[in-house]
Amino acid sequence: MLLRSPQLNEVVTVLESRAVPEGGFCPRSGEPFRSDSTAWGVLALSLLGPVHSLLGGARDKLITAQDSEGMLSVSQEHEEAFWPTSLAVLAWNGSQLHETYWKRSVLYLLKTTGQHRSRIPGEPAGHDPSIHGWPWIRGTHSWIEPTVLAVIALKVTGYGQHDRTREAIRMILNRQLPHGGWNYGNTLVFGRELHPMPESAGAALTALAGEVAPAQVARSLDYLHGEVDRLRTPISLGWALLGLGAWGQWPSNGLALVERCLANQSRYGAYDTSALGVLVLGACAGGASGRHPFLDKPNSVAASMLQ
Amino acid sequence: MADHMDSTTPRRLTRRDVLMAAGVGLVLGVGSLAVPRRYLRMPQQAQVFVDKVAHYEMEIAGSILRGIQELGVSPDELKGKRILLKPNLVETASGAPHINTHPLVLRGTIEAFLRLGAAAVMVAEGPGHRRDTLAVYEESGLADVLTEDHIPFHDLNYITGYELPNAGRQSQMKTLTFPALFKEVDWIVSVAKMKTHHMAGVTLSMKNLFGVMPGIYYGWPKNVLHHAGIENSILDINATLKPNFAIVDGIVGMEGDGPIMGDPKKVGVLVMGRNLAAVDATCCRIMGIDPYKVSYLERADKWLGPLGEASIDQRGESLASVRTNFQLLDEIPAHQGIRLG
Repeated sequence: MLLRSPQLNEVVTVLESRAVPEGGFCPRSGEPFRSDSTAWGVLALSLLGPVHSLLGGARDKLITAQDSEGMLSVSQEHEEAFWPTSLAVLAWNGSQLHETYWKRSVLYLLKTTGQHRSRIPGEPAGHDPSIHGWPWIRGTHSWIEPTVLAVIALKVTGYGQHDRTREAIRMILNRQLPHGGWNYGNTLVFGRELHPMPESAGAALTALAGEVAPAQVARSLDYLHGEVDRLRTPISLGWALLGLGAWGQWPSNGLALVERCLANQSRYGAYDTSALGVLVLGACAGGASGRHPFLDKPNSVAASMLQ
Repeated sequence: MADHMDSTTPRRLTRRDVLMAAGVGLVLGVGSLAVPRRYLRMPQQAQVFVDKVAHYEMEIAGSILRGIQELGVSPDELKGKRILLKPNLVETASGAPHINTHPLVLRGTIEAFLRLGAAAVMVAEGPGHRRDTLAVYEESGLADVLTEDHIPFHDLNYITGYELPNAGRQSQMKTLTFPALFKEVDWIVSVAKMKTHHMAGVTLSMKNLFGVMPGIYYGWPKNVLHHAGIENSILDINATLKPNFAIVDGIVGMEGDGPIMGDPKKVGVLVMGRNLAAVDATCCRIMGIDPYKVSYLERADKWLGPLGEASIDQRGESLASVRTNFQLLDEIPAHQGIRLG
């Protein structure tokens, strides 16, 4: 049992209430199944223990959203919005019954990238657009969060040394802001450094943990430490805690911050399933548990099919 | 509703329309059937109201009520209706409140619509840069205001959508996906910020509507729309969504490297109207920018609305009394050659 407060246990009850009868989870009560909500729901409930009764059905439901090449989109009408594919890999990871499916999605990730091109001298954007990562939506440029999710998915399934993963790590580093932190993926535009964002910085630090020297991300860790106490919303706080926890720097008041964030639902309304999932994972990324949700040893059944 | 955007409303063709349509037909060599639909749509006269509001502590609801009345919005149009306000919330930064629509402009707008009989007013946004919409909502100060006023806020980035055929057809996008929430409202109001923009020249009530496109389908930073062409996308979204009203917060705008990194620019105005293109053209003139030199506005002219001063019935303050030239930067191509003579 990794959850250590009554409020976090209430989250579990809420997540359970978001289960849909045919399997999987919806974003909010009364809405239909969605792949991203399901993956985050599985990841959060997995932290309760290995065999929550809803997990099997939810993982099975994700199979129905996967196409023959391994891609999962956010909806059937928007198959180009394939960013939930990485989340599904994470949700299936560790389940022997779903090995075929995560392998298929890993193969899809490895052959998929965004639109990239060589840097044009004098262009306004500061980053190197030639370094491959992953986009949110097929046919567009690669950005930080979808690249982070893909890198984490590839690392936990044993593909951390694959060329695509290594290049993506370079891409994430290339998008780090000069004064520390990350945003959605732009660094400078017309010579001006853009603002960092906690959710992007936390995500990037999660992906880079164990991959780069601490000195390479020291400013970003400083940035996130400076931000974390003021974060009141689940996506920012959850990813900030995941990022700090990945570097062994989960804050001593982390649980209090999570509880304050949960209490803020009286102000913002109920958080959706994905946001709750991120927050639960952040809550479990450090402190007494000593276990980070995304830094387990690579899956022992990781395939060697492409290496 | 003489100035309400409606592509089916008949209008007398101007000599310029005829010449342009004929020119296009000749170029294509296939006669009038080949004329793009936008030249066959009828531009309208539009009314735009400009009010001086020196600072955010002034009575903003009163200003908006005056504007709505001056613009001829009848009580029946609002009584019992559900109004969705779309502010410009992009991201937040310490010391830069001028990035986003000021919360007190939203409060004044809400009060005005409720006083005019609206059944419900809500605020909704899907920021283009941040995945954490609630963080922008909180850090912009809007959460304090809406919580105190018991007004709901909706995150449009993660909301399930519904598709509409792309009525603008400027980009290659065959359909556009809007938040399903929009099917439940009667009026959509763009409550924008008066800013320069380093890619589009200016961002006003039309560009503000990028934020209605859910991030789960369009990504962050709404990159699908960039690949489809920013200008094309602005026109497509506006042509398809057909928003009902616009209010631009020009009390303190942003000049220079907008929409994020620019400097605050105190103008002291609210600009409003039913026709977004006309509202934006008026804002441009206030900013010392020629709307015909802003490419997407020029393309909207006589299609989504009129840009010409002669076609805009200017109510409230005169433009000359409020014109405040916004700084344009030499290094930004979108700023070149757009200064109003």
